[in-house]
Amino acid sequence: MHLSGAVFAFWAAGLTAHILLLFVLLTRHHASTFPAFTTLIAANVLNSIVLYEVALHGSNHTYFVAYFAFAVLDLVLQLSVTYELARHVFCPTGTWARDIRKGFLILVLASLAVAFALACLPSPPEKTVLGMLLDRGNLFSSALQCELFVGMVAFSSTANLPWKTHVARIAQGLGFYSLVGLLTEAGHNILTRNTTSFESLTYLRMSTYLFCASYWIVMLWLPAPAPQELPEAAQRQLFTLQRRVEYDLRKLRALKR
Amino acid sequence: MMTIRNLDFFGFLFVFLASILGIGTYYYLRNRQRELYPYGKWEELLKRLAPLDHQNLERIAADPAAQPDQDIHWVETMRPEDIWRLLGGMRGIEIMERNCSVLVDLVFYVQQWYPEALLIAEQLRLNAREVEWHIGRLKATAKSGRPPAAAAEYLQQAVAIYYQMTREVLALYEQANLPGLADLQRAL
Repeated sequence: MHLSGAVFAFWAAGLTAHILLLFVLLTRHHASTFPAFTTLIAANVLNSIVLYEVALHGSNHTYFVAYFAFAVLDLVLQLSVTYELARHVFCPTGTWARDIRKGFLILVLASLAVAFALACLPSPPEKTVLGMLLDRGNLFSSALQCELFVGMVAFSSTANLPWKTHVARIAQGLGFYSLVGLLTEAGHNILTRNTTSFESLTYLRMSTYLFCASYWIVMLWLPAPAPQELPEAAQRQLFTLQRRVEYDLRKLRALKR
Repeated sequence: MMTIRNLDFFGFLFVFLASILGIGTYYYLRNRQRELYPYGKWEELLKRLAPLDHQNLERIAADPAAQPDQDIHWVETMRPEDIWRLLGGMRGIEIMERNCSVLVDLVFYVQQWYPEALLIAEQLRLNAREVEWHIGRLKATAKSGRPPAAAAEYLQQAVAIYYQMTREVLALYEQANLPGLADLQRAL
């Protein structure tokens, strides 16, 4: 398979960006805070290397199969990243709020249904089964991510839960990429492969991804602003409250006996 | 080639994108508003306060039956129908319920100058819960088919607590000498 100059340039830029991002995640100790996101970036490094090798030495079909396999892995990892971000926002202490958990589950189910309906609608021109699955899968993934991000923003705003700086930056990047991805994949689903318009949409999606990766590199390299400390009076109040709760609890236990 | 199915797809996609962007923008603006005015906007708070006849509220709250520890066997108390009429029926009850949360927000608003107002806000929050509880009982009575006036006891308690809440908010604004006092006196 022959790689054009533009495709090679995108491939090289993508690989460099991923390696840099992985370096930032590891050296800035974000890997333990965002394990799913780190795995996604590491998988993308592997993806770039393996697909390059297959493109050079394998057949078109082998390339498509490998591409498809990585696309499925990418979807699973992107959804894991979304879950990881949701955990950071909705259960920072390790316990999900009951009302949020139920709402989040409804959001996931509704988003799955809408994204599936959207991906089933277009009728693409003649395409191979694998090609069609790939285009519909990409559309499904972008629509699902968009819905989940908007839903998470709405939930956090309603529940007054803040987005910590790095969580917000990762979410902004993924959300923006998904939105552009939704438009480009909508085009991919109705255009014939290997046409100029089809390729242009691919380049647009790749450029957006490179932009997002650069954004993550800069934002994750910068340290998050230190959280404000509680004033001394508030700390004293909390201490007194804790003592009172302990006392009441002891009284209640004594009553139960 | 553009088929009917693809036209449907683009229609659906358009609605989908418009909804996503609409919801996203709404919450973005809401968060921005919250950052700009963490304690709310005075004009909007006042706008949320729906009018109730406070003279009537005072009459209901001053009734011996609404006073704690009062022996009501030897004094004349208001009839349930009168309480119901003075408050303005179910509409008045609903306004009172909504106003309770505005009263809490009005005290929360004071915290930007006096952080210690937090204690009063928490007290009013508890009062608001109590009003909600009484109104809940009242609505349950109405649902069971009995006339709402049959639950006058709950109604009178709710009005007494609500009235007390309005006095506390006014007293706070008066003591702190806050600029919105005149507007608030008109609204309450």
